[in-house]
Amino acid sequence: MEVFITESEGTMTARLVGRLDTPAAAEITQEIQPLLDHAEGTIVLDCSEMAYISSSGLRIFLTIRKAASAAGGHVVIEGLSNEIRQVFMMTGFLQLFEIK
Amino acid sequence: MGYGFQAVVTVIVALATLEATTLLQYFSSRKAMQEEATRRAEDQLESTNLLICDVLDQVETAVHNNVWPVRKTLAAPDSLWSLVRRIVECNPSVSGSTIALAENYFPQKGRLFSPYAFRDGNRIDTLNLGRESYGYPDKEWYVKPLETGEGYWSEPYYDTGGGEMLMTTYSVPVTDAEGKVAAVLTADVSLDWFTDMVGNIDVYPEAFSALISRTGKLMVCPAPALVMKKTIQEVAADLADSTTVRDIGLAMLAGEEGSRQVLYHGEKEYVFYAPIDRANWSMAIVIPQKEIYGDIQRVGLLVILLQVLGLLVMSVILYTSVKNQIRFREVSEKKSRIDSELRIAQDIQMSMIPKVLQADTEQVDIDMSGIVVPAKEVGGDLYDYYVRDGYLFFCIGDVSGKGVPAALVMSVTRSLFRSISAHEKSPLRIVSTMNESLADMNENDMFVTFFLGVLDLSDGHLHYCNAGHNAPVRLGNGSGGFLEVVPNLPLGVMHGMEYEEQETTFSCGEGLFLYTDGLTEAENVRHQLFGTEKMLETALAADGKPAGELVDAMKDAVKSHIQGCEPSDDLTMLAVRYTNPSLSDAWERRVTLREVSEIPRLQRFMQAVSEHADLDHALSLNLNLALEEAVSNVLLYAYPGEAEKKVDLKALVWEDRIDFTVSDSGIPFDPTAIPAPDLSVDLKDRPIGGLGIFLVKRIMDDVSYRREDGKNILTMTKKR
Repeated sequence: MEVFITESEGTMTARLVGRLDTPAAAEITQEIQPLLDHAEGTIVLDCSEMAYISSSGLRIFLTIRKAASAAGGHVVIEGLSNEIRQVFMMTGFLQLFEIK
Repeated sequence: MGYGFQAVVTVIVALATLEATTLLQYFSSRKAMQEEATRRAEDQLESTNLLICDVLDQVETAVHNNVWPVRKTLAAPDSLWSLVRRIVECNPSVSGSTIALAENYFPQKGRLFSPYAFRDGNRIDTLNLGRESYGYPDKEWYVKPLETGEGYWSEPYYDTGGGEMLMTTYSVPVTDAEGKVAAVLTADVSLDWFTDMVGNIDVYPEAFSALISRTGKLMVCPAPALVMKKTIQEVAADLADSTTVRDIGLAMLAGEEGSRQVLYHGEKEYVFYAPIDRANWSMAIVIPQKEIYGDIQRVGLLVILLQVLGLLVMSVILYTSVKNQIRFREVSEKKSRIDSELRIAQDIQMSMIPKVLQADTEQVDIDMSGIVVPAKEVGGDLYDYYVRDGYLFFCIGDVSGKGVPAALVMSVTRSLFRSISAHEKSPLRIVSTMNESLADMNENDMFVTFFLGVLDLSDGHLHYCNAGHNAPVRLGNGSGGFLEVVPNLPLGVMHGMEYEEQETTFSCGEGLFLYTDGLTEAENVRHQLFGTEKMLETALAADGKPAGELVDAMKDAVKSHIQGCEPSDDLTMLAVRYTNPSLSDAWERRVTLREVSEIPRLQRFMQAVSEHADLDHALSLNLNLALEEAVSNVLLYAYPGEAEKKVDLKALVWEDRIDFTVSDSGIPFDPTAIPAPDLSVDLKDRPIGGLGIFLVKRIMDDVSYRREDGKNILTMTKKR
């Protein structure tokens, strides 16, 4: 799993490439720190290249979502595949995020 | 008995030969001794005869030599005194001598005149025997020579007139110049002298001699009271064997020579007799038979005694040897009887061991094979199995000890197993009941290690109970390890033992390899054990093959290990494999993870399953997710603080479903017991974790958990 974070006009965009499984989730915990540090703004999570997510991955999403919520920020998820959308749905995550 | 009989015959022949030789020797010795006795007696008789005749000769010569001097001296009667004195003086054999003159020959000397000289100690006294009271003209010694005109030996007599002793007298007539009888010249011989000589004959210590006169009067005999008082005939009349003695007496009186055997005072005696020619006397030597044969009888007695002793010793030896032989025969007969009984017992015991599976249903999805190799004719090992109501009951056991006692306990154990399991399905209750029964009858402190399994043939679920037996080896799951067993105590040790029942599930092809310690403890010449490692190795190598081949492979491995060593313990093996064909259709895939970082491997695993099951991408992804949740849960939480982690994942793809099994040896944890998270709660109240198992439950159609063999086993089913 690779994470590419870019910033433009106060919006932090994280592009998640690959499978966000349990070990991957542990790996990117550090890498997403900039997102948490700028939780007051808009965070875009680009999942168009994310092939898979486990509950650990969902946990990362939830962490980001909580941080933004606490700082008055905003999280947008983009490019969810149908399969992953199904996972989000099963876990009730669809209701927690703004999905584009 | 042949040998004993031969020995008896040999001894009897040897004894007969010995006895015959002894008898022959005895009789020839007897004969020789008898001859010796006869020779000695005859010698003695002859020499005594010669001695006596010599003395009598001297006396006769002395008398005859003095006839002429007497005739010359008749002119001077007083000179006759010196004449008789000189006769006595010059002849030591002569004890007395007289010249008895015819009546009135010298008128001046009176009617009777007989000058007499005789020995009185060393002196020679003289005496006139011409006393009227003595009356010599009537005496035998005076009358007889005058009658015959020749010399005459008188009958022995006790002389009261002159010598005052037992004597015999030789007398000759003396005529004067005119040829008229003038006197009788005599010389006396003391019979004491004879008595001394004859009485001192000692041919044998107990022998004695006798001398009789011509009238049979006893002159010499061992009984002084009889001397001169009795004749031999008178003595014979008083004896029991009178005829023989009288015959001897007659022969002696007739001057014969010979020998006779006579019974005298109850004892056999030999009498040898011969005449003393000159005096018409007869002499006898009497020798007791025991004296003649004394030595040989003593020696004979000793020989017989020794022979009897030898016979006794020989008999004892013979008796012992024959008895030993009989006992040996009895023992060997007994042994062959025991051998044949043992063979029968072996057949009976082998018939208790199932050859084919007994089942009350036709379809039995089981592959079994077993073998018992007793170290002796019969042994204490057992195994048994049968099917009832869709359940396979199987057991293996090892009775402590070997041989007949163990075999008896073994058959009791087998009977108990059959009778109790006939109406009971719980291994715990079967084993407990068996224990009570065996403890009841256990007076010899024998016990049985026992493993009992009850397999549900419909789903491969196994309930089992171990009683001190070796842990069986698991077959068909690729692990090559032991089935987890609680040891428990062997059966029969004590009443009221509490056993623990365990359970597991066999997939198709899975099973157990059961054995007794005769397998692992099989020794080669260097006392090296076959060992559990080699056993596991062999079981693993033969895993997947039919049960019979596994048992054969194990048997061959043991055989090549012991290399012809005599097995010291019974050896028993039993392989059980569950072969439900409905299960065997499943396609199987396994994977084992040890680290969280290995989780990406699940993707390939799932890919393979998906391909085989032809799953769409979304389902595949979901199933991947569910598996990851289950597996990561284990890796993250089941081994707290442990470096070694391990989780096994198995997928079975069926016609209608996919079964996933996640198993681990971590701390017991039932994820299905966790309540589902409340998805409707507000964001800030949402817990970070707890989603994993929720996802599993959402994705799978059926999720179940069980703890088995110390493992957490989570089974997840997804319908197709």
